[in-house]
Amino acid sequence: MLEIRDLAVAYGGLRALSGVSLSVAPGQFVTVVGPNGAGKTTLFKTICGIVPQAGGTVTWDGASLLARPASARAHLGIAHVPEGRQVFATLTVRENLEMGAYPPAGRAAWARTIDRIHTLFPILAERAGQMAGTLSGGEQQMLAIGRGLASAPRLLMLDEPSMGLAPAVTEAIFERIAQIHKEDGLAILLVEQRVAEALELSDHGYVLETGRIVLEGPYQTLLADDRVRRSYLGLGDE
Amino acid sequence: MLNAVAAGLIIGCLYGLMCIGLGLIFGIMKIVNFAQGELLMLGMYVSVYLVGGFAAIGIFGPIVAPFVAAVLAGPVLFGGGMLLHRFLLSRVSGLTTAARLDQGAFGQLIVTLGISLILQNGGLIVFGSTPQSVLTPLSARAFILGPFPGDALLFLNQARVFACVVAILVAVALWLVMERTRLGKALRAAADNPVAATYMGIDVDRAYRIAFGLGAGITAIAGGLMATYLSFTPFVGLDYVIIMYSGVVLGGMGSILGAFWGGLTVGFVQQVSALVLPPQLQNAAIFVVFLLIVGLRPQGLFGRSAERA
Amino acid sequence: MRVGGANRLRRDAIALAIVTVGYAGFAATVHNSYYQLMLTLVPIWAVLGLSWNMMSGMSGLVSFGHASFFGIGAYVVTLALVYWHLTPWLGIPLGMVAGAVAAVLIGLPTFRLRGHYFALSMLAYPLALLYVMEYLGFQEVPLPMHRDHPALFLQFVDPLPTTLVALGVFVLAMIAGMLVENTRFGLALLAIRQNELAAEAAGLDTWKWKMRALIGSGAIAAAAGGLYACVLLVVTPDSVFGVIVSAQALVVTLFGGVATVWGPVIGAAILIPLAETLNAKLGNIVPGIQGVVYGVAIIAIMLASPEGLFWTIRDRFFRAAPAAPMPAPGSLRIAPGTGTLLAVSGLSKSFGGLRAVQDVSFSVQAGEILGIIGPNGAGKTTLFNLLNGVLAADTGSAKLDGQELRGRKVHAISRLGVGRTFQVVRSFPRLPVLDNVIVGAYGAGTDDDAAAATAAAALEAVGLADRARLPAGQLTNKELRLMELARALAGSPRLLLLDETLAGLGRDECDAVLDVLRRLRAQGMTIVIIEHTMHAMLRLADRFVVLDHGRVLAEGPPRAVIEDKAVIEAYLGSKFLARQNA
Repeated sequence: MLEIRDLAVAYGGLRALSGVSLSVAPGQFVTVVGPNGAGKTTLFKTICGIVPQAGGTVTWDGASLLARPASARAHLGIAHVPEGRQVFATLTVRENLEMGAYPPAGRAAWARTIDRIHTLFPILAERAGQMAGTLSGGEQQMLAIGRGLASAPRLLMLDEPSMGLAPAVTEAIFERIAQIHKEDGLAILLVEQRVAEALELSDHGYVLETGRIVLEGPYQTLLADDRVRRSYLGLGDE
Repeated sequence: MLNAVAAGLIIGCLYGLMCIGLGLIFGIMKIVNFAQGELLMLGMYVSVYLVGGFAAIGIFGPIVAPFVAAVLAGPVLFGGGMLLHRFLLSRVSGLTTAARLDQGAFGQLIVTLGISLILQNGGLIVFGSTPQSVLTPLSARAFILGPFPGDALLFLNQARVFACVVAILVAVALWLVMERTRLGKALRAAADNPVAATYMGIDVDRAYRIAFGLGAGITAIAGGLMATYLSFTPFVGLDYVIIMYSGVVLGGMGSILGAFWGGLTVGFVQQVSALVLPPQLQNAAIFVVFLLIVGLRPQGLFGRSAERA
Repeated sequence: MRVGGANRLRRDAIALAIVTVGYAGFAATVHNSYYQLMLTLVPIWAVLGLSWNMMSGMSGLVSFGHASFFGIGAYVVTLALVYWHLTPWLGIPLGMVAGAVAAVLIGLPTFRLRGHYFALSMLAYPLALLYVMEYLGFQEVPLPMHRDHPALFLQFVDPLPTTLVALGVFVLAMIAGMLVENTRFGLALLAIRQNELAAEAAGLDTWKWKMRALIGSGAIAAAAGGLYACVLLVVTPDSVFGVIVSAQALVVTLFGGVATVWGPVIGAAILIPLAETLNAKLGNIVPGIQGVVYGVAIIAIMLASPEGLFWTIRDRFFRAAPAAPMPAPGSLRIAPGTGTLLAVSGLSKSFGGLRAVQDVSFSVQAGEILGIIGPNGAGKTTLFNLLNGVLAADTGSAKLDGQELRGRKVHAISRLGVGRTFQVVRSFPRLPVLDNVIVGAYGAGTDDDAAAATAAAALEAVGLADRARLPAGQLTNKELRLMELARALAGSPRLLLLDETLAGLGRDECDAVLDVLRRLRAQGMTIVIIEHTMHAMLRLADRFVVLDHGRVLAEGPPRAVIEDKAVIEAYLGSKFLARQNA
């Protein structure tokens, strides 16, 4: 479904990504882990067209995304839940969800998706008329995910959903993500710093370091890998 | 006293509408548009020519025609504003320059100054320098209310009263569009967080273009309405652009209601200060009030504090 | 003098001499009185542009209201002549004093505002003054004629001497501008433009520098206005306080290029003749056409050259000037202390209902590296902001070597010896790395040579000495992080607060920075570092303080902390230890 080959991205002369290849099949749960600033967010922004690519290909259903402007990509069924949540603070919770349903597919499925979102995150129904900026961090993260789901996507991209959240909330969010994956059969591409939790959820994982994929494989393989254990789980040497 | 307060409220509503136009542009795109006064001026002239046109084909009659013309100036300048944004402003503002030093603010200032010069002087060439106005029989008629306690009579210029009513209707209509429609919500989303809006599939450039068009159109309607009671030349914009900025800054940038209240405040201060100040100092009073308020409440009189880190 | 400032100054002085002599020679050959007037106006508007550039171009605080100063200068000269028969030779300096005073009165309230609010508020002053002048009955004040003493009253029959006087004022304004540009004054303003907070944290009293710039700018603009009155022989509120005057200052500078004295010169030299010629040639045929053409011209050039002609031309046709020689590195003053260097007790801060930092107490021993860890949003950066004065704490205290930090301003805390880096590095990309670092040394209050030497030493300490002459824009992420570290070091701090200095670094880069930090510790530096990268922190820090929800959750040696139940729960995750032991 999503196929990335040899992707390179340069930021003001600096290479942010080089030779990155990655793919997500329908219904697959893929995780990208790596240290802060390794290029994970850049990868997402490139897929969404916010950052121009310097080389390589990004294809969706076999067609190149290169020529598609950023705003058109959401209409293809790619939903992006950005780093730091980025909810529309001055819009109400309900309006945020409506904006999520901006693409035609989202509008067509609105009645069904809004029910589903409210089932997953009942708090969003309770807070429907409240300004999104007044929600707590965890609630904002739920709103951001709900907003992503509202577009009735085929791929849900999540950029560090655990950022700044208390462990209990993070756990709840991860549970919901797993639930969405299992019950809705939605393909998920997750970027996380919480390596262990993230890898455990997924079918397949990639390790991104200084803009390169240094390791990939099923999650069991990655968790057993010495480098991962040392670098990201804080285990091993010393 | 009573008359000044009433005049202040009526003029204030028109200023409020005018400020909403600028508030849309300033609030949504953060563009400092020096040409906003010229959009007001164009609204006035479009209205003049439409009234002439209506008279020639004999529709609407002398009382209704100026108000229809004023409202129609909106769509005309909406189109004009979209074109301006498409070909000039989008190249020096918005997402394209966000990464540039100073967010490209310097380039954008020069471009709107240039547009302002072109429109003023182009206006001089096309419309001439003779002061014009839209004549309506209402301009010379007044509603007389009263007597109030103390035997005061309230005289209300009918043209201004109707202009004020139309202004409020247009403002309410715009508010409904922004609050209730998908387009309005998309515009607010684009203003709130352009990058996230893009993730939602909103074409932010297009949203900005529409917002600029709307801002131009709304200010033009205000211009058309004001044309019914004052005479103007192509340089009239200079007098009002400052008033508009005062109103928008007072109201707190980025809020439609705030811009309206800000404009209302400015109009009110201007008219009521006439009671105590010589006419030359009326406008100076606006700036003093403006500086006071901005100094005391930097987020604007009606703006919400965005202090949370 | 800035590093390389003397060379730049010499080069610019030669260019200025050539331009001035050439201009004067050209003016002597012109006899058409209309063109002579134009030749007089070019330097006057250039002076106004130079004034605007000194304030807004250099510091990035856009003023839409320079007509205030211009108009005050014009009216002071005119009214002094009318009422006191005071010669403009004294009237102009008097006007400059008035302009400087006005700058103080305007700056005091207006510097509290930021961004668009500052810019638009500046617009209100000249307009208020305009209406006041009209009210006072100064609608149109002609200058009294004193043709019997042309030299004394600047009323020459032949326009050439007037042009030369204007040129003289222009030369003085250029010299002032060049001095600002090439001394720490200019560097301080550029630092404010790039990031006011970082400049303040580097120890610069930004308010004072901004005020100085506005005072200088106000005086120069007043000189331009005074001269303008002498040339036109009549002042009206519109012609000197009008929006057009403020706009003119912006336009000539932005058109020519900001943050260089040559910008306003280029802008005025092209635009003023263009506007005047259009006015004369086309304006009579079709009134208004000159404005249209002028508008089209400035838009076209702005689209082609958004940063101004000077920078575009320089980037395209000239190689960057040879970099200044590297100053000999001095020694970094690292004073190893003993005992408790920083004592924080009961520090709290709330934003509305959000308690970002609650009752935080801990201490830092001299010579140690203390790691502050905790989930995002735990209040780590807010804590730093409280410590170095960016935010005011609600309650509690923080004492550096017994001196209370709470209640002091950012630059004052920096001068006490608290250096700080930020999560997001912002550099001035056109300036060499060395200049970026020198800003930090200025903050410590050293003289120019010492500052340069300290900066060089700081660059050496972080291993960037060979990059010192490159523009900061060409550095890699790691080098930028090190540059920021060097800037903090250049202030000769006793305590370094590092906010996610390792963020975005690969493992090898991370190791390189860790080595630098360990070397600093070996020399006696005390460091508090916020960091997420646990593997790095475990190898670097002597002790941990764990924050969660604004509270101190645990404190102690790294090993003990990572085995603490509460820490595992809140930050490390329940599986951390299991993996650790697996």
